[in-house]
Amino acid sequence: MLIEIIDVIISGMINGSVYALMAVGLTLIYGVSKAFNFAYGSFYSMGGYIAFLLFGAAFINSYLVVFLLAAPVLFFFGFIIEKLLVAPLRKRDDWEIKVMMITLGLALFLDNSYQVVFGARMKSLPPLMEGSFEAGDFFLSYQDIVIFVLSIGGILLFRWFLNNTRTGMSVRAVAQNPAGAQIVGIPKEFVFAATFAISTVMVGMGGILLAQKYFVTPAGGWNILVKAWVITAFGGMGSIKGGLYAAFIVGMLEAFVGWQFGMTWTLMALFAVLLTTLAVRPQGLMGKWG
Amino acid sequence: MINVQNMNAYYGDFHVLKNVSLTVDEGQIVVMLGPNGHGKSTFLKSVCGLVEKVDGTLNYKGESITGLRAERLVNKGITYIAENRELFPEMTVLENLKLGAYSKSARPHEKENLERVFSLFPRLADRKGQFASTMSGGEARMLAIARGLMSNAKFLAIDEPSLGLQPNLRDEVARIIKEINDQGMTVLVVEQNIPQITELADKLYVLEEGRITFEGSKEDALCNDHLKEIFLGM
Repeated sequence: MLIEIIDVIISGMINGSVYALMAVGLTLIYGVSKAFNFAYGSFYSMGGYIAFLLFGAAFINSYLVVFLLAAPVLFFFGFIIEKLLVAPLRKRDDWEIKVMMITLGLALFLDNSYQVVFGARMKSLPPLMEGSFEAGDFFLSYQDIVIFVLSIGGILLFRWFLNNTRTGMSVRAVAQNPAGAQIVGIPKEFVFAATFAISTVMVGMGGILLAQKYFVTPAGGWNILVKAWVITAFGGMGSIKGGLYAAFIVGMLEAFVGWQFGMTWTLMALFAVLLTTLAVRPQGLMGKWG
Repeated sequence: MINVQNMNAYYGDFHVLKNVSLTVDEGQIVVMLGPNGHGKSTFLKSVCGLVEKVDGTLNYKGESITGLRAERLVNKGITYIAENRELFPEMTVLENLKLGAYSKSARPHEKENLERVFSLFPRLADRKGQFASTMSGGEARMLAIARGLMSNAKFLAIDEPSLGLQPNLRDEVARIIKEINDQGMTVLVVEQNIPQITELADKLYVLEEGRITFEGSKEDALCNDHLKEIFLGM
């Protein structure tokens, strides 16, 4: 029983860490540019498919190489998408809702493209690392440890970037006051595109990390979009810290609900969290209303 | 130094500025007066590349800067200081100042400008680590001016610097403007009617309903009955 509970907590922590990485990306776009990206889940799948393609290439067999190659591809893709699809809408009335519509369209387009190119069957990736740590009944796979360390490492790296680099500071400046950012000479449009691109890298990396556990499928991103959305709303739209807490709470909740009632109930539990949040504290854990 | 010819600016369909022309020579303090809502702020923002729909020609140091956006202009030494300050609330005083030196031309001078700003505003040096959102109105105003100076500007466009300040702080703002002007800064100030600021002017403009209705020296303005009545309160 005790071992079982520990297993559940660990599983919640590991999923929570990857959710945190992905939710931070989603909340970042919202916090900086007030845009909501509905194709976020499809970018998650894209990470998985890029890794699948890279592993298919004969000379690549290490995850390090895959991460190093996938990151710039995802960044470039996100940057181009922002410039081509999102930026032109920003000058129009009601642009927020138009951005939702166009990214929703992009999501459908991408998911169907995956199906055409890769087929509907799920793809698997090799494990990050073989083996496990065992002590009596207690069991923890090295793969899970690596996933946890990489996700947390990614978040810490991103935090360092926000607080200690000039570009990171300009991202925070645009999030806090776009007009002020323009006045000091920060190229706002570039910052919008760059944050969109960074968030694409974050969710794509999350896609690679989770692909070994949950496989890659054409529509597999929707589940992730829903989760990232719930976490973002629960943590507070645009609040990175709130998103972090919310991600771990949701990861835990999922693990415990899955353990007690079965995995089919986890999504239901998430919606219960979302509805309660919206009813009781619509600004989320740490968000500012408006 | 700055020359504006026939500037027109629009917000949507609303025609805010109508054929505004203005010249500021190097080393001058030029003050633009006018009632609220008649386009003064829009004019300053248009000069600084912060308004979308502007036409007319703009020259800076003999070079055309028509149509350039703020990020390019700040780099050339033209900086806007906002009436509502536009600080970064969840950043410290020091971070706000550092972001003031964001442009490429300001970066090499960040350290010396920081020292200069702290000697002009000793109170900001004491509050380096404080969040901008926790500052009083007067301090926030000082920080906005200080952040503008961090850009290594040669030309400052200051939007109603004494708005909402108590009289003793207005004197302080006027003193600072005088001091940076003495150090070689060219300044264009927009104000409603603040004697401390108007007194500094080498040249006055009056903007009413989007048009320039007066251009001249303080002495000329005092002879103009219309102005005396409306702006100088006499």
